[in-house]
Amino acid sequence: MTCGTPLDAAILADYWLGALPESEEQSVEEHLFACDECGARLREVIALAGAIHNLAREGSLLMVVSDAFIQRAAEQGLHVRQYAPPRGGSVECTVTAGDDLLIGRLTADLSGAKRVDLSVCNQRGREQVRLADIPFHSAAGSVVFQQSITYAKAAPSETMIARLVALDDAGGEHLLGEYTFHHTRTMPGPGAW
Amino acid sequence: MEIELNDSDLAHRIGRGNDRAAEAELFRRMAPRIRLFGLRHLRNQDAADDLVQQVLISTLEALRAGRLRDSHKLSSFVLGTCRMMVLDLRRNSQRKERLLEQYGADLAPAPCAEPQLDSEQLAQCVQKLKERERSVIVLSFYDEQTRADVARFLGVSEANLRVIRHRALHQLRDCMGAAA
Repeated sequence: MTCGTPLDAAILADYWLGALPESEEQSVEEHLFACDECGARLREVIALAGAIHNLAREGSLLMVVSDAFIQRAAEQGLHVRQYAPPRGGSVECTVTAGDDLLIGRLTADLSGAKRVDLSVCNQRGREQVRLADIPFHSAAGSVVFQQSITYAKAAPSETMIARLVALDDAGGEHLLGEYTFHHTRTMPGPGAW
Repeated sequence: MEIELNDSDLAHRIGRGNDRAAEAELFRRMAPRIRLFGLRHLRNQDAADDLVQQVLISTLEALRAGRLRDSHKLSSFVLGTCRMMVLDLRRNSQRKERLLEQYGADLAPAPCAEPQLDSEQLAQCVQKLKERERSVIVLSFYDEQTRADVARFLGVSEANLRVIRHRALHQLRDCMGAAA
């Protein structure tokens, strides 16, 4: 039988996350106890949530993360390797087989910034990837990002430059900080890409 | 064997006693719903399976004893039993042990076919999201960080967080196709 009032997947995700008001949660549960079609959709949402959880644990996403995320990963037994090069400076870094997450901490004066991009460049300063409009707190004084551990474990020795760039309303760019990571390969693998 | 009965007829047949086909249909119909409820509230597959057994036993006993006054409300009765059982489980895990000892594995729930996702495709789809959307999705589903934590990190209200999460989830499902 086809459901006449199917529950939206986003509402089901809210339900799964416990993010619905109590009255709405109760009506969702009453619907689910009378509708297997929406139950199947909830199972899809749960599977998606589980797969995203596993993806986060694998550390393979390039993204900005929170300190709470790093703390919880460490509490769950993941080995977190962190580097914090000074603004305008560099740091020697590597990854080992035992590392699960690779974190870079970039300090910068973010006060007054409306939009901040994280530009990931090669050793010549040519942009390879840009994370546009990253989440940040103007008072935090730093941006914490996760580099893909999968990429880092496979990468040869190389230099990566990260830049934090503030953008104004007219699209003008203002460099907030530049940070250099000298990665030395310590795991077996090719010497170059 | 699946039998075509509405909830009311099903409750009546079980109430008349010794109708194994009707009881089997009750289990087939209700077990997946109870299990989802258990997963949501207990966050553990084994605990959800235990809940299925306990709620079905309790429902069966109630139907046989004629304690369901309005047979049209079978689903509501089962949902209400789920809610009470979850509260009870949280309060007293010993009752669970006692019931399971009494009824054993006779009511072991049939395994549900869980949807399978291509993790490589999912990684690509997550990476395609905008930065804030990616952060919301990953931080929300990783260890289910609280809304307040994620909203604080993003510097948005919880209402805005919900809007971002909804948009990101729809984009992810579109990117993944019907599988998600």
